[in-house]
Amino acid sequence: MSANPTLRAANPRPSSRPSRYGVAIAIAVVVVIVLVASSILDYVYLDTIPSRAALYGLLAVALVALGTFIGVRAFDRDPADRRRHLIRAGVLLGLAVLLWLLLIDVFVFTNSAGPTVATISALACLPTTAFGLFVVRRLDRNEKEPWRLVLVAFAWGAIVATSMVIWGESLWGAIAERTLVPGPGLDASNAFSAGLLEELAKGIAVLLLFLVMRNEFDDVVDGIVYGAAVGLGFNFMESIAYMTNLYAIFSPEGAGGYAAGFQWYARQVLGLFFGHATYTALIGAGIGIARQLPGRREKVIAIASGFLVAIAAHFSWDAWLAFFPVEGSVLGLVEIHLRTLIMTGPFTAAVVALLLSGIQIEARALADQLRKEAAEGSGAILPPDVDVLSSPWRRLTERMRALGKGGLRAYLALARLQTAQLDLAMERWHRERNEIEDPLEAEHELRRRVIELRRQAAA
Amino acid sequence: MRAAPHDPVRTLYRTLLVFDVVAILILAVGLAEFLYFEPPGQTTGVKATIVGVFQYDPATHITSGPDRRTFARTEEFAAVVDWSTLPQNIAVDARWYDSFEAIVGKVGPGTPVQLTAQTIIPVGVPAGLQHNLPGQYVFVIERLENGVPVEVLARRIVVVERT
Repeated sequence: MSANPTLRAANPRPSSRPSRYGVAIAIAVVVVIVLVASSILDYVYLDTIPSRAALYGLLAVALVALGTFIGVRAFDRDPADRRRHLIRAGVLLGLAVLLWLLLIDVFVFTNSAGPTVATISALACLPTTAFGLFVVRRLDRNEKEPWRLVLVAFAWGAIVATSMVIWGESLWGAIAERTLVPGPGLDASNAFSAGLLEELAKGIAVLLLFLVMRNEFDDVVDGIVYGAAVGLGFNFMESIAYMTNLYAIFSPEGAGGYAAGFQWYARQVLGLFFGHATYTALIGAGIGIARQLPGRREKVIAIASGFLVAIAAHFSWDAWLAFFPVEGSVLGLVEIHLRTLIMTGPFTAAVVALLLSGIQIEARALADQLRKEAAEGSGAILPPDVDVLSSPWRRLTERMRALGKGGLRAYLALARLQTAQLDLAMERWHRERNEIEDPLEAEHELRRRVIELRRQAAA
Repeated sequence: MRAAPHDPVRTLYRTLLVFDVVAILILAVGLAEFLYFEPPGQTTGVKATIVGVFQYDPATHITSGPDRRTFARTEEFAAVVDWSTLPQNIAVDARWYDSFEAIVGKVGPGTPVQLTAQTIIPVGVPAGLQHNLPGQYVFVIERLENGVPVEVLARRIVVVERT
């Protein structure tokens, strides 16, 4: 038996504080209730085609919920079972994505743009979004997040978050349209709606990852990565919706392809990192900073701050876009780039500033922990390893050298060893900062794993 | 006595709080903008009369047929307003907005007496297009205060179908 009742967490949870899993379950229950209620209310009261999609889309939402649940459970199981559960979760999430795309095709756009246009739009958005996800994941130079979690975050943004906001925004918009004076006041109202509802719906995903997947959520860098992934998912689905919708509107005038192509460029090229990815990355930054703060009050303030900045960033774009009109000439091409740079650029710069600071802090801390581990002489990290492991470039050089000597098998073995060594350094960092609930035994287990991987790599 | 070690995470936290101040300013400006264009306490109780929305012939400037809520893309249409039901001492205008919130038809501003001759307000086809764009069109009669619309006195929504 490996369980030891005398093991103490570095930062034991007070008995009065609810378990973070309990908080996560409560949030998940609220999300499901909101989705069910919004879909039914939409169908009954608004009876629009998108609302029907929301109703039938509940199956996709249920698949995402089940897939996420199985995916999370997989981490509490033996490694032998883990793979099986992860595959099941992946299949369910994949089915949900496909089902949702199918629903969009059939119920929202088939009557207007047709399934061919919807499919072409989705295919056009796939490479750009995949590139975005690749770049975002690469941002974490020291400890990349697992693809499965990045893709779960993406799926949430694309499927769950978009489903959550349909009813809220439809209702808000319908009321505002019937009560407010058209013009800047109505624009501001709609911008408040989009900023509040969309950022809350997207941010919940990052919050749930923070609560449930604490081992894979280390700091501000991880928060930004997960947040941007959620934003890219939302942007993916929104791009398809706008492309097909505008194609349907302008195709009778012979300008459908141009309208859809313009939307693709604006959202999948120019706005790939500047729009939703930036907004949700700001939420992720707040949650990532909260991860490493000691007091509950500061944690709550940091999380709320991330949401507030994201809501303001999103609001400013939606509300004040009309103040930066774009001419229908060649000059318009310059103007549209300048508009994005001026309006969203400062927020993206804020994310980049937090990211670079976070990477620097993380790199220094890991180097410090690597040195300490090497000095302790456990054998997991040797003194010559420290400089190599502290530099992403030198880690890559070593892996390439292993590739040259022993082929792909040697490369992968060294990659696994380096990842495990950095995991160990990260675990030490969290323990030193008193921000970890895992028992000390978990750290010993990591150390044993590193030594085993070193043995395998040497063989 | 040793000073407490510097925690760089606190620097990140304080940076986030600075961003927070900027965010609060942005949202405050947004709220001020909303209140400027939707000032509270502007409800006068005055109601304008929209006779209906009818098919419209731009050549003769005459409307025809029944009052309708949906139109085909190829059909032109116009709202008909009865200005006589409004008090004569207020400034008003009437506007059509398309689904992109662009103004596609307008009369005014002026007093109801000044607008008496302009009872038919057609929707104009945007430049470069052959027909109206599909989507929801909103027609409003607005009361103006210092040149800014502050109250909707009447509103009609019609849909231009895609087919």
